[in-house]
Amino acid sequence: MARESGPAPSLDRLGLTRDRRRILYAYLAAIMLFVVGAMVHPGFAGLGSVAAILTVASFVGLVAAGQTFVVLIGGIDLSVPWVLNGAAILLVTTSLGEDSRAPYALLMTLGMGAAAGLVNGFVIAFLGVPAVVMTLAMDGVMEGLTLGLSGGMTCRACASYAPTVVQNAVHGSAFGIPAALVLWIAVIAVVSFILSFTTFGRRTYAIGNNPLASYLAGVNVRLVTMLLYVLSGVFAALAGVLLVGFGGQASLGMGNPYLFQSIAAVVIGGVYMLGGRGHYLGAAAGAVTLVALVSVLLAMNMPDYGRNIIYGIVILVLLLLYGREEKEE
Amino acid sequence: LSTDATVERPRPPRLVYFLAQNTGLVLAQAMLVTAIAVYCAVFWLTEAALPGNFEITSTVNNTMPLALTAMGQAFVVVARGLDLSVGGVMDLTNALAAIHLHDNLASMVGWSVVILLIGAALGLVNGLLVGVGRLQPILVTLATLAIYQGLAIRILPQPGGSIPTAYTSALVNPNQPTALIYVLLLAFLWYAFRRSSIGVAIFALGNDELAARANGVDTVRARVIAFVLSGFMSAAAGLFLAASATAGDATTGDGYTLSSIVAVVLGGMNLFGGRGSGVGVIAGAFVTTMIVNILFFSNIDPLYQSFYEGLFLVIAVVLSALVGRLLRPRR
Repeated sequence: MARESGPAPSLDRLGLTRDRRRILYAYLAAIMLFVVGAMVHPGFAGLGSVAAILTVASFVGLVAAGQTFVVLIGGIDLSVPWVLNGAAILLVTTSLGEDSRAPYALLMTLGMGAAAGLVNGFVIAFLGVPAVVMTLAMDGVMEGLTLGLSGGMTCRACASYAPTVVQNAVHGSAFGIPAALVLWIAVIAVVSFILSFTTFGRRTYAIGNNPLASYLAGVNVRLVTMLLYVLSGVFAALAGVLLVGFGGQASLGMGNPYLFQSIAAVVIGGVYMLGGRGHYLGAAAGAVTLVALVSVLLAMNMPDYGRNIIYGIVILVLLLLYGREEKEE
Repeated sequence: LSTDATVERPRPPRLVYFLAQNTGLVLAQAMLVTAIAVYCAVFWLTEAALPGNFEITSTVNNTMPLALTAMGQAFVVVARGLDLSVGGVMDLTNALAAIHLHDNLASMVGWSVVILLIGAALGLVNGLLVGVGRLQPILVTLATLAIYQGLAIRILPQPGGSIPTAYTSALVNPNQPTALIYVLLLAFLWYAFRRSSIGVAIFALGNDELAARANGVDTVRARVIAFVLSGFMSAAAGLFLAASATAGDATTGDGYTLSSIVAVVLGGMNLFGGRGSGVGVIAGAFVTTMIVNILFFSNIDPLYQSFYEGLFLVIAVVLSALVGRLLRPRR
C-alpha cells in the first residue's frame, strides 16, 4: 500500500523512510529560518531571541500535540480556539488571582477541556457525526458559552489576573531554560513515548490506517477515538492556562490564531492528514518552524494581516509538496 | 432523480417511499413550519400581536446572505466536500463592494459583476487545489479562508466605506419583502442546476466517485465547478450583506462559515455527498434566522447565539442520521 516515491532509495537504507525524511525536513526548515533571520536581523539567532521564539512555539506545540493525536486517526479538531480561550477565562474567573484557589481552578480548567473533548469524541465515535462538523459546532458552543457566561468579558471576575503561582511557573526557569519550554520538552517526551512505545499509540496508528481492520483485530475503535479527542481538549486547555499565565490576563479571541497554527504545525511536521502516518516529533518541529517564520516576517515588518496570508500559503504549499492524496490504484 | 431501486425488490407504499427518498427535504420544511409557529407564539407573548410586514421584511432580508452562501455550500457538499472559505469570500467581496461601488448605474452594475466574478475566481482557486491538486477540501479551504480574510483586511483595514442608497434599495427593500423574489429565483436556480448536465455530474460524483468516473463523468471538472459555484454564491452573499449594512466590514462574513454549514445540515443535506435539495437548504437558512429571532424575543442574551447554533447543528446532524436509519432500514 505504501507507495514509496522517495527520490533517493539509498536514504531508505539508512533508515530514513519517507515519514522520517519529512520530520528531518521540518527540523532543517527551522534551522534554515534561524539562519535567514540572523541575516535579516542580526541578533535573531542569539540565545535570548531563540529562547523567546521557542517559548512562543511551546504554546503552539501543546495545541499541536492534541491536534496530532486526532489527525493521526484522520480526524481534525476545529474546536481548539474557543476551548483554549474558554480555559484561559475559566482559570482567571475561578481563581480570582488567588494562589489558594489555583489548584481548584487548574482542575476545573483542565476538566473543562477534557469535557469538551469527551463530548466531541462521544458524538464523533458513537453517533457517527463527521469530525469537522462536530468540532466546528463545539467551537460555536464554547464561543457562545464563553461570551454569554462572561457577559462579553464584562464580568467583574473577568478582569482578574492569573494566580501568581501560575504566572511564576510560566515565567520561571529551570537550569536556565524557560519553564514553558521545560514543560513542552516533557510533553514531547511523554507524547512520543505514548505514540511509539505503548499499545495505545499502536492502536492510534492502526485506526488511522484502517479502522475496519483495527476493529476486526480487536481494537476498541470507538473508545480510542473518544480518548484521542479528550486528549486534544486537554492539551488545548493546557495551552490556554500557559498563555494566560504568560500574559497575566485573559482576553476574547486569544485562541483564534491557534487553530491555523496547530494545523500548520502538524502539516509542516509531515503528519499525514488522512491519518495513520507521522509523529509528534515532526509536529513539534513544525511548531518551531512556524513561529520562527512568523518572527522572521515580523523582523521584516510584515503587517498583521500578512501573517494570515502567509499561514494559508505555507499550508497550501506544503500540502502540495507532500500532503497529496495518493492516486487510487 | 437518483433511485436506489435499480435492483428488483418489493416496493414500499408510495408515501413511505417518497419520505425515504426526500427525508431531508420533508424534515427541513417541517422544521421551518415549527420555527415559524414558535416564532409567532413568542412574538405574540411579548408583543401581543402577530408578526407584521416589518418583521417579515426584516427576516427575509436578514436571511438572504445566509440563504445565498448556504446554497453555495450546498453545491460543494453535494460533491462530497466542505467549503470553509465561504466566510472569507464574503469578507473579501464585502470589502470590495464597500470601496468600489459608487453612486452611478455603470459603477454599481459593473462592479457587481466584477465582484461576482472575483468570487467565482476565489472558488476556482479552491476547486483547482482540491480537484487538480488532489488535496483535502477541508484543509484547502481552511488555508484559503486565512488567505481571503487577510486580503479582506488588506483592502478594508477598518469597517467603513459606503454603499449607495440606490444599491441598497434595489437589493434589500426595507419596506416590502420583495427579497422573496430572490428566494424564488434561488429555488428556481437549484432546479435548473439539478436538471443540468453539470448538476447530474456533481450529484454522481458525490454519490460514488469511481462509478461516476467509470460512466464517463469528468469528476475533476465537476468538483472544480462545484467550488466555483460556491465562490460565486458567497460573493453574491457578500454583496447582499454590504447592501443591507450600507457599509463594509472585512470581518462581517466570518460567522457565515459556521452558519452556512448549520443551514445546509438543517436543510437535510447529506454531509457525505450526493443527497439533498437546495430548497431544503433555503428552508434551513430561514430556520437558522428564525432561531436567532426566537432567541431575541425570548430575551436570551445574543452573546449566546453561537452556542445555540452549534447545539442545533449537532442535534440536527444526529437526528437526521437517526431518522434516515429508521426510514431506510436496508442501508
